[in-house]
Amino acid sequence: MIEGEAELKALMLRGLGGDAGAHKAFLAAVSGNLRAFLRSRLRTAPEDAEDLLQEVLIAIHTRRDTYDESYPVTAWIYAIARYRLIDHWRRRQRRGEHIPVEDAHGLFTASEDEAVDAKRDVTKLLAMLPQKQRDSIRLVKLEGVSVRDAAAQIGLTESDVKISTHRGMKTLMRLMAEAEA
Amino acid sequence: MKTNDLIDALARNSEAPKTRVWPRLAFALIVGLLIAVGLVLTFFGMRPDIGAARMMVMMKAGFAALGAGVVLPLLLQLAKPGRGPGWRLAAIGGFALLCAGVVAVALMGGDPSTRFEAWMGGAFPWCIVLIPVLATPTAALLGWLVRDLAPTRLAMTGAALGAVSGGVGAMAYAMYCPTDSAAFVATWYAVAIALCAVIGAVVGARLLRW
Repeated sequence: MIEGEAELKALMLRGLGGDAGAHKAFLAAVSGNLRAFLRSRLRTAPEDAEDLLQEVLIAIHTRRDTYDESYPVTAWIYAIARYRLIDHWRRRQRRGEHIPVEDAHGLFTASEDEAVDAKRDVTKLLAMLPQKQRDSIRLVKLEGVSVRDAAAQIGLTESDVKISTHRGMKTLMRLMAEAEA
Repeated sequence: MKTNDLIDALARNSEAPKTRVWPRLAFALIVGLLIAVGLVLTFFGMRPDIGAARMMVMMKAGFAALGAGVVLPLLLQLAKPGRGPGWRLAAIGGFALLCAGVVAVALMGGDPSTRFEAWMGGAFPWCIVLIPVLATPTAALLGWLVRDLAPTRLAMTGAALGAVSGGVGAMAYAMYCPTDSAAFVATWYAVAIALCAVIGAVVGARLLRW
């Protein structure tokens, strides 16, 4: 989170009081946070993330009278974002598109800029992993290939791919933590 | 459109909207009840002994109103984004316990040979079919309000909406309902309201989308 609960809430309340500048700053701060949230949930369809972000911003703007001051504004924002995200998945599902399970989980990034940086880092860090883990993660996590297809491509069993992905991810997390420190 | 341009455009329109919750809530509950009463009078007719049974009708309607009343805080809580149910579920649990207590006391106090009949009302409990029907107008009016409050947990909100509507429907149904046994009312009115909650959860998940 770039902006904490206290800052966001202050901006929100001033915006609700009719301060257009505060409202704009609020929307801008929220869009930074939400872009990261939505991208991390829609990693296989980044082009949808920006559309969805705009939908959420409009919802937040037009429904802002539904915010209850006695609750955290971040909870309100994320409830709306999550709702719009689920709605988006539902619409996609109705159109018969495949929804990768991988979208539902994953890393959390802090902002748009960091998302770009992080991807570059990951490629570097990936190179430090054993071949098997590297290929599994690249296919399953980065390219969004199903575990079964990935197994066929690498020539491993499905459970091998799952274990390699899991172990590789753990190593990656450790490497990233070290790189950050 | 670029997101930054969108933000500029949104911020220019800075007048905050205002959903008037209480007047619309009162409207939904009162008009919903009136329509349900109209349906009872038109299609079932008031029970013939309404003069003598006035107290019983009032008590049954009061019981139904209590059922709606204990769920209403949950509905209002869930109608807006980002608020958990909290203590409001406990209120509903308390009502369920009250119902169970009433049934137990009434049946234990009664004559064992007529216990089953007092509980079942001697026939198929039609209220579990008719109360959901009578709840429909209230549910539609409440849905119109709740959708404007942007609920994000649709099934749970729909269940609460259904239960409140069921309580209102049961108030109207009390005017027709010929069975006065406390065990019957505390069982089958509660079951009817719970059924409304289930229907509300299923229907609400679709119709409450905004």
